[in-house]
This record gives sequence, structure tokens and C-alpha cells, in this order.
Amino acid sequence: MFKKKWTVLLLTLCLALVAAGCGQKSNNGDKDTSSDGANKNGSDKVTVNFMHLWPEGVSAGQNKIVNQIITEYQNEHPNVKIKQEVLDNEQYKNKLKVLSASNQLPDVGVTWAAGFLQPYVEGKLFTPLDDLLGGELNGKFVNGTTEAYAVDGKTYGLPLEFNISPIYYNKAIFEKYNLEVPTTYDQFKQVVKTLSENGIAPITLGNKDRWTGSLWYMYLADRFAGQEALANAINGSGSFKDENLVKAANEVQALVDSNAFVKGFNGLSNEEAKSEFLNSKAAMYMMGTWELPNFTTNEDIPKEFRDSVGFFKFPTVDGGKGDINSWVGGPGVGLFVAENSKVKAEAKAFVEYFVEKWGEQAVTGAGVIPATKVDTSKLDLPQLYVDLFNEMSKASSITLFADVQMQANAAETHLNLIQSLFGKAVTPEKFSEEHDAAISKGN
Amino acid sequence: MDKVMSNKWIIALYVLPSLLLILAIVYIPIVLTGYYGLNKWNGIGAMNFIGLDNYQALIKDKLFWNSAGHSLLLAVFSGISLILYLIIAMVLSAKLKAVNLFRKIYLIPMLLSSVAIAQLWLKIFHPTNGILNSLLESIGFANPPAWLAEPSIVLFALFIPILWQYAGFYILIYYAALKNIPASLEEAAKIDGANAFQIAYKIKLPLAMEVIKVTIVLAVVGSLKYFDLIYVMTDGGPNGSSEVMASYMYHQAFRAYDFGYGSAIGFFLLVICLIVTWIIRKLTASKDTIQYS
Amino acid sequence: MMSGTAEQLGGGAKNSRAGLVSLGYTLLYIVLIAVAILQVFPLVWLLFFSLKNNQEVFNLPPLSLPMNPRWENYEKVWSAGNIDVYFLNSVWITVVTTVITIVLGSLVTYAITRMKWKGSSFVLGLFMVAMMIPVHSTLIPLFSIFNKLHLIDHPLSLILSYVAFNMPITIMILLGFYYALPREVEEAAVIDGCSVNRVFFRIVLPMTGSVIATTGIINMIYNWNEFIFVNTFISSDAYKTLTVGVQNFIGQYTTDWGAIGATLMISILPILIAFLFLSDRIVEGIAAGSVKG
Repeated sequence: MFKKKWTVLLLTLCLALVAAGCGQKSNNGDKDTSSDGANKNGSDKVTVNFMHLWPEGVSAGQNKIVNQIITEYQNEHPNVKIKQEVLDNEQYKNKLKVLSASNQLPDVGVTWAAGFLQPYVEGKLFTPLDDLLGGELNGKFVNGTTEAYAVDGKTYGLPLEFNISPIYYNKAIFEKYNLEVPTTYDQFKQVVKTLSENGIAPITLGNKDRWTGSLWYMYLADRFAGQEALANAINGSGSFKDENLVKAANEVQALVDSNAFVKGFNGLSNEEAKSEFLNSKAAMYMMGTWELPNFTTNEDIPKEFRDSVGFFKFPTVDGGKGDINSWVGGPGVGLFVAENSKVKAEAKAFVEYFVEKWGEQAVTGAGVIPATKVDTSKLDLPQLYVDLFNEMSKASSITLFADVQMQANAAETHLNLIQSLFGKAVTPEKFSEEHDAAISKGN
Repeated sequence: MDKVMSNKWIIALYVLPSLLLILAIVYIPIVLTGYYGLNKWNGIGAMNFIGLDNYQALIKDKLFWNSAGHSLLLAVFSGISLILYLIIAMVLSAKLKAVNLFRKIYLIPMLLSSVAIAQLWLKIFHPTNGILNSLLESIGFANPPAWLAEPSIVLFALFIPILWQYAGFYILIYYAALKNIPASLEEAAKIDGANAFQIAYKIKLPLAMEVIKVTIVLAVVGSLKYFDLIYVMTDGGPNGSSEVMASYMYHQAFRAYDFGYGSAIGFFLLVICLIVTWIIRKLTASKDTIQYS
Repeated sequence: MMSGTAEQLGGGAKNSRAGLVSLGYTLLYIVLIAVAILQVFPLVWLLFFSLKNNQEVFNLPPLSLPMNPRWENYEKVWSAGNIDVYFLNSVWITVVTTVITIVLGSLVTYAITRMKWKGSSFVLGLFMVAMMIPVHSTLIPLFSIFNKLHLIDHPLSLILSYVAFNMPITIMILLGFYYALPREVEEAAVIDGCSVNRVFFRIVLPMTGSVIATTGIINMIYNWNEFIFVNTFISSDAYKTLTVGVQNFIGQYTTDWGAIGATLMISILPILIAFLFLSDRIVEGIAAGSVKG
């Protein structure tokens, strides 16, 4: 008796599971037929899946723009439905990886440039978007931004952001110790020395994240060895053993020795390090222009602090080959269209629309500098934005962040070596050697 | 008895649903992980069969053995801290006033997700305004270390939150095991004049032995594949000094796009777990299992 | 109060000894209370954390309240869409997976410890090996399995993985208890002509109430806090769980820590209540079982 009851129970459970499974299957079926149908007669709804990383809670500005663009687009194209999936940065990257292993990428998604994009292109997962560049978007991008998304002459992503990395400084602290904005590296070292002697952390740095330290190395490398030598070392035609590049690595350790960086920097995240600057505990902070809202419009941060933030360019080195108008930065995230998307035409059309509208609203709506040209004269922007827009147009060269530029494998080695260099666990010579080895190994 | 208890249909009914489930959900991934480990694969493009190359590289990989060493150290520490958990569980299972309340309070931290635990301990370990260093400075230590930035101490600093995170888990299991010992046994021992320590050592400990053996395996295997807090709090740094096997696997597979190599690490980790478990089982094996009687 | 407890345990010791014992108990209580305060501290910290903005999270000492507690963090979390859906999903998925895991796990453990069949130790080995694979190794294979079964973006993918991945640890814990369980009652029942199913459901399950509560708590916590599988297998908001609520406040370049604290605070409450409830069931165990037997 009891046995029977149990068996029945188990069977019911199994049936329920199967039924649930079938239910999903038929749901999927519905969706597929609807999009197939759309391709045939164009009257039914087409769903374009769009995966991005601007959640409503914290990236309110970006999220609002995204939703606005989607609503407008859907109004203009009543047969298209854009379905969003939002994840945070880290989870986004992981999921993209898992999805691509099963060839299940969303129709449209967010990607990063160069080294990040390359494996996806080689795996034939992203589709070329050159036709879009020739159309509506022709000439709209800032020079040099789409190139970072090109592999073998074809462009696989359209950039949405464009950043450079200045050194932000706290004017109030500088005033208190009678410090001038340094234009040469010697002056800069003097500033560091004065601040350090007065018990103020000169520079805040969250080097747990490693790319933060890479920025400092990149600038020193650029100023000592020049933009070309650095670029060649990274693309493998030159070498990190270049005398001046080794000098730059040496200089990183000299800065560490002079207590230039905040205590425990190798264990701090960028988030924690940033708070030292926002709380006026550290005088300088080097970061991308994506931080500008925190120094201008973010109401959570005291106004008196925001008003006392200035920036300067990384100083030039006596006898160095670098130019003061040479920057580290480049395009941030961009959009891709999946190669095997069933609705590729619609996805591309959406991307084209998105990039254009994004460019119009990004600065004012979210404080993000887009990769498309912005006419600043028509906008009412905080002075810091205006100044940095000017710097961007004056830039003699913009070197892409090293970890973005390199292939994933080499980038990982680079980042680890950066942390070791700052932590003095590796000598500048060894640092250079291992870089060359990683880059020549490729992926 | 034997006849009833060896009815094949009933055994199948009891075991097969679960077995099939883990074969499908856990073993297919295990087998595939082993297979990916034999390939050069970035997780995106085509796979390229390279035989045992990944494993050969792994055996020569100093970074891997460093992380394996850290994982083993964590396993040893977790094993040792079981003693502490057991003592706490014994106190909590004693007939003391308000002990029920204590038990509940003691287990509260285990409810926190690792996101919360990581944030809490980051605030404790913060080099300048962290709780720990503020405390140390207030009692006269001039320059307390930056706990998560010093390669020589970071690993040990991380062990504390990890061991604390799992305390509730083991205390809970031990507590239930001790509560399962019939009160009559304890009463009888008391009448024979045994004191609390003798009861704990001579009666409770042997009777909870099966559970203790299980927890040793759980603690060691759990430590060998541990990932959570280390990933959030130091990400294996600085300079790899807190990298463990699972975080190294993650970095290789998901950051360096070397999914083949990452899978080889994952599979090797499984083999190490197997060997260690086998050793533990051998060391803790006893001929007959103890029962209440 | 102290001396009363002491007498209970000491069993009529002489007065001078009783004084010493009572001093020991006072010390014990001081330690117990101190540890209890330490263990409550994370919860208090989390509450304070949830009432701050980023500036205050990093600038104020961790255990201080900001001048203006920011209750709007909670408002932000509640109004940020879908939290109610996530919440319900978390509840039902946690309950369903915990129940299935424990029932299936108990069946397997019973078959392994009580029934006589070839390969029982091999099957046990299979279950044990299943807990040795790092979770990140399984993501890509699991995704492709679920994809082939059309279970991506379906709650069943979560249920199957939670049950399968928690099954080994559940069986391991149950095993320690089953080995130590007296067999006399079961044997007598079988001799009386009871069917195996009846023995299991009427005698064994009730007798293992305390360990069921223990594994229940553990499963519940794991399933409630899990997010890697949710992120990987689920893409529709309709099936996501509370753990992804946190992500709503992790941006590309900034993180809203106060709101994350509020989300964590909200998500810890239901599990705290369930825990307090289940925790009392651990005490009932053997006694309840033997009455029914």
C-alpha cells in the first residue's frame, strides 16, 4: 500500500518535471516561429536580445538613456521588440564567455576593444559592422576610436565611450602646502616629497585591481621612452628591454620608495582608493575621465570637494622622449552584433540607431564622454568637462590601456607583473624580460 | 532481514533518481572538464587537441604549485580549527542556562552571503581606517601592517575570515551530532561518577566519531576548492601570494582566456582532492563502526 | 542561577569544590557572552552599512551611524523594480530544492547504510567525488547541457543544479548520523513484517529529524545565497533570484554600497527567520523518533 503511494508520488514528481520542461520547449518554439515569421513577411514581432552592463540602481544615467533609446526605437519600429538583460561588469564578462562557448551570444551586446575582442572575432562570433560606418554614422566617430575595434581591417564593434586619464588633484591640499601644478617630473617628485613629509598621502592607488597601476607605468614609459617605443614593445615589434622602458619601471619602484602611494595600495581596490581622494585624505588620483561626474555633478559628494578638484597632464621627463600631450586612454565599451544572430539586420539597425542617440545624450544624461563627436559649444557643461574635451582635441597621441591592447593571456601577465613591480617582488629587468616572453608567446 | 534489505527494485528506487541526477549534472561536466583539459581552447573558437600538453605545463607551473601550497595550507588550518568548533559545539550542547539563545546567536554569521562577509572583513583589515589597525594604533602600535597588501601575511589574514565563515557550518553539524547522543548514556556515566570532561572524551567524542570523520573530509575538500572570499578580498594578490587553486583556475580560464589550461587545473584539483580524501579515509578508518547500544 | 547549573552538573559535590566550579561557570559565561557579542556584530554592522552612502561607508568608522541615516537606501532597493519577483523566486526555489535534496539524499543514505547490495561503496564514492569539482569548471559544460535540453532561462536549470551540487555534501552529513543510528528498532520492525518504505518513512526519517534540520539549514543557506548559476543560466527577470538584486548597484565604474547593504539586509531577514525556526528542531531528534517507533 505504502509502496504504491510512494511510487505514485515519485512518478508525479517526474511527470511534473517533464511537463515543466516541455512547457519551456513550446515557449521557445513560439518565440522562434515568431521571429522566423518576421523574417518572411516582416509584419510579426522580431525580438532583439540586448545584453548590457548599466543597471538601473547605480548607472541611473546610462540606464535611463538606454531605456529611452529602446522606447523610441520600438515606437519607430513597431515590429521590433528589444529585450534587455542587465548584469554587472564582472558577471557580464563571465556570462559572455560562457555564452560564447555554446555559441549563444545575445543579438546585441557590449564589448571591449582590441585584446578583448580579438578571440571573439577569431571564433567568428562577432559580425563586421563596416557597412554601418559607411552609412549614417560616417564621420561621426572621433578619429582613432573605431580602429581599436578593428581586426584585419574589419570593424567588429562600435565604441560608445572615449576616455583619457589625467591626474586629478585636490586644489585645497595643494594650496595649503603652497604647491604648484608640476609640469616636469622633477617638480612632480618634489610635490610628492612635500606632501609625504607633511603626512599627507600624495597619491592614492588601488592596485589590487592592477590596471590602475598599469596606468602609472604606461605614462612613465611614454614619458621616458616615447609613445612609439612603448607601442612597439606592446605589439611585439620592439622590446620592453628598451633602456628607457626599463628606466620607467625603475622609476615606478623609486616612487614606491618615496612613499608616493597610499599605504597598502597593493591590497586596495580602485573603489577603496578612490574614496581616499574623495575624502581629501590623498592629494592626487590618476583615473579615466569616466570619474568626472564624481568631481562635478554627483550630489552625494560634498560640493566644496568637487569645487576643489583640478587636473594636470602627466609631467614630462627631463631628457625623455615623451610629449606632454600624449595620453593613455582610448575607447571604453562598444557594441557588437552576433555573427549567428537570427535577426542580424534588425540588430545592426538598432546598433546604428543606438550609437547615434547615445552620442547625443551621453554627456548630458550620464556624464559619459561618447566616442562620437560632441559639439561642446552647444552644451552647458561643467568647466572640468570643457577643459578635458579641449585636451582630447589637442592630444598628440592616445595610447590604448595596455591590458585592453594586449591579448588576454599577455594582458593577464602584464597586470600581474605590474602588481609585482609595485610590490617590489620583481626587478625592472625581470619585469621587462617576462613582458617580452608573454608578448612573443601570444595566445 | 537480509532478504528485505537487498530487494534490487527498492534499492534502485532509492538510489537511481539521485544517481542519475548527479551523473547528468555533475559527472558530464567533470568528464568534459577532463576532455577540455586535453585541448588548446580559449573557450570561444575551435578546440585543438593537444593531448597531455596542458598537464605537462601544469606540472612545471610554479604559480600553480604555489597556489596548491596555499590551498593545502588552508586545508590544514581548516582541519585544525575543527577541534575548536567541536569544543564550542560541546559547550553549546551542555545543559547550561540560555544555551539555546547562545547557539542561535553563534550561528548567525553563517547566514551572511560571502559578499557581505567580504565587505565586513575588508573594513576590518583596511590599512588606515580599518577596525583592526585603529585598535592597534590606539593601544600603541605605531605602524600596523597593511594586512592585505603584505605578501608575507596576506594569506594568514585571509584564513581568519574563512575559518570564521565556516565556523557556523561545523558547529551546527557537531551540535546536532552531540544532541543525537541519547541522554541516558550521559546519565549512566554520571551515576558512575564521571565528570564533564570524562563524559566528553569517553562518551561523546567516540559516539560523534563518524560525524567527525565526515567533517574532516568536508573541511579538507572544501578548503582545496575554496574560492569566494579570496576572490573578492585580494583576487589572489598581491603578487599571487594569496592565490589558491580555484582562483588560479578561474584566472586562467576566464581572465586569460585559456579555457583548456583552466580545465586542466580544475581536473587536477579534483585528482588532488581524491588523493587527499583517500588518505584521510585510510587514516581515520576503523574496523567496526560505533553505535549506541 | 550559576550555582544551580553547577549543582546540576557537579552532582552533589562538596561546598568548596562547588565554589570553584561556580567560578568556572562565571568565567565560561563571560566568554560565551563576549563571543555572542562578536557574533552579533556583523549583523549590526550590516544594518549601519545599509544606512550610509558611499562617502560615509568609506569615511566613517564601520560601527558608527551616519548623522542622517539613509533609509532611502531601502526605498531605492524596493523601488528598483522586480525585487518582489526576485524575492518570491528565491523563496520557492530555495524551499523546493532544499526539500528535494533532503528527501533524495536521505533515500540514498538509507540505501547505502542499511541495504545490502554490490557497489554500494562505489556509488558512495561517486557521490563523494561529485563535490570535488570547482564550480567554475562546470559552468560551460552545464550551460551547453541545459541549452540542449532547452532549459536555459528556465527555473528547472537552477533546481536541477542546486539539488545535484548540494546532494553530495548532504549525503555526507547524513551518512555520519545514519552510521551512528541504532538499528534495533528498524530490525524489529522488519521482522514484524514492515515494508522497507514504511520503515524508512515511519521510523528512520522521524528519528533523523535533527540532522534533517541541520542539512536543511545548510542547504537553505547555500541555495538562498547562490548567484553564479542564476547569472549564467537565467536571463529573464521573471526567474531571477534575490542575489542578483545586489548587481543592480554595481556599476561599470562605481558601486552603490549603501544600497547593496540594504539589499543584503532585506535578503537576510527571511533566512534568519527560517533559521531560528529550524534551529529549534535540531534538539528534537532521537527522542521524538523512538516514541513513534
